Amino acid sequence: MSKNVIIAKDLVLEYKKDQPIIKNSNFTIKSGEFVFITGPSGSGKSTLLKSFYGELKPKSGILQIGGVMLNDIKPSKLAFLRKYLGIIFQDYKLIKEWNVKKNVMLPLLIAGYSKDVCEAQTKRLLKHVRLEGKENYFPVELSGGEQQRVAMARALAHNPVIILADEPTGNLDEYSSRVIWSLLEGANEQLGTTIVVVTHSIPSNLKVPFKHLYIEEGRVYEIG
Amino acid sequence: MKSVKNHISLIIPLFAILFSVEFYLIIDRIIQNYEKSLANDYSIIVVSKRPLSLDELKLVDEDIVSIKEIDASLVINRLKQNNINVDYNELKNFLPRFYKIFLSTFPSANKLNQIKAKLMKTEGILRVETFMKTHEKMYNFLIFIKNLSKIFLAIIFITSAMLVFKQIEVWNLEHQERMYIMSLFGAPLWMRNAILVKLSIIDTIISTLLVYAVYYYLLKSGYFSKFLGLEDIALNPDVLRTDMIWMFLLGFFISIFSIMIVSSRQPKIS
Repeated sequence: MSKNVIIAKDLVLEYKKDQPIIKNSNFTIKSGEFVFITGPSGSGKSTLLKSFYGELKPKSGILQIGGVMLNDIKPSKLAFLRKYLGIIFQDYKLIKEWNVKKNVMLPLLIAGYSKDVCEAQTKRLLKHVRLEGKENYFPVELSGGEQQRVAMARALAHNPVIILADEPTGNLDEYSSRVIWSLLEGANEQLGTTIVVVTHSIPSNLKVPFKHLYIEEGRVYEIG
Repeated sequence: MKSVKNHISLIIPLFAILFSVEFYLIIDRIIQNYEKSLANDYSIIVVSKRPLSLDELKLVDEDIVSIKEIDASLVINRLKQNNINVDYNELKNFLPRFYKIFLSTFPSANKLNQIKAKLMKTEGILRVETFMKTHEKMYNFLIFIKNLSKIFLAIIFITSAMLVFKQIEVWNLEHQERMYIMSLFGAPLWMRNAILVKLSIIDTIISTLLVYAVYYYLLKSGYFSKFLGLEDIALNPDVLRTDMIWMFLLGFFISIFSIMIVSSRQPKIS
């Protein structure tokens, strides 16, 4: 039986005092699951995802990621936890002063891999995301789809336990979106990576089974 | 161009800090050397009815390091030059003893008064001449310069440290997004700030070398001694070598301290 990698009990999230975005929510995400978080605009989807990578601490309740309590996590422990996460953003969040190769290498450098390992892994990943030959390009020289594939390669680089993606195809065209979804499916199927995606609409042609968390008026509902 | 401007913005305040610290150190050294030379040349004249010994005077004040009796014939010879009609052989028998007393350091006016008072209380001592006014003027001028350099150091240090802090804040804003992205992937503080540390090391090295070059020239040309009117008290420029290691460490510490302060209040990007 798969372990729970994310556990939320009576979780409350808020930016301003007494104005909760997420109210007393309970849910679990198991290892290897592919999870979609959907809901209307402003419902708190991205806020919930932010809490998973420690950007927003719970106001009350319990939030555990990989057995680590995020309620009062210290910066050093949070940094340690993030080494096991891969994060993808709608606006890619690539380092614009760095070329594609260095951007992809970032999690490997943080994890302390040797230069040879970093080089080999980056080369393999860039091939995987179909960006061979663009190693020395800077983000500004790439299209939105290509930038998101770089972000995807970066998220996969260190074989994370969980990939958290916030609207990963929100800014992309049809082709680039298909590529991103297939890469996420591949990571989930082949590597058993837990994938949590915040999106407005679940792609219709997804081949892997998935769980659906729906947020409405601050409550998280498990609907499939 | 922007990068050069950024470097200069840190190099100038760092240079100002290191320059003022080194200025203080050099002034302090020159004054110490001058005090030593004064102490070597300076002596108190004591007139006594009876013979005095160093051990006895050391009990009066521990700063007394040596004592030298002035030959009575020297006094007689001076009197002879004035053609005074007396029996000099007879006079020699009645003359008191004259001593030169040397001190370990050049004393302040207060200290000198204390020594004089203590000596006067000693049995047999008739008179003590300190020649205070001759030396006091120069000594007070040097102490004034030393205190002035302390104030100069404090003002420059505070204003320049604020400029260093501001510049690192500018760098931090420039690199904020990159640092934030790195933190999302679990980069520790030192790794996120590595570029700022690298920039500050480069700028501290440049500032230290500039300070070294300026002071090497000033010492080599004897500018400081001329400025203080102490041309016989020259400082060897070699003293700068050790100083520059300390200057680099000081500059680096100020930069790192500013980086740590700025990083600790780094705003988040959403």
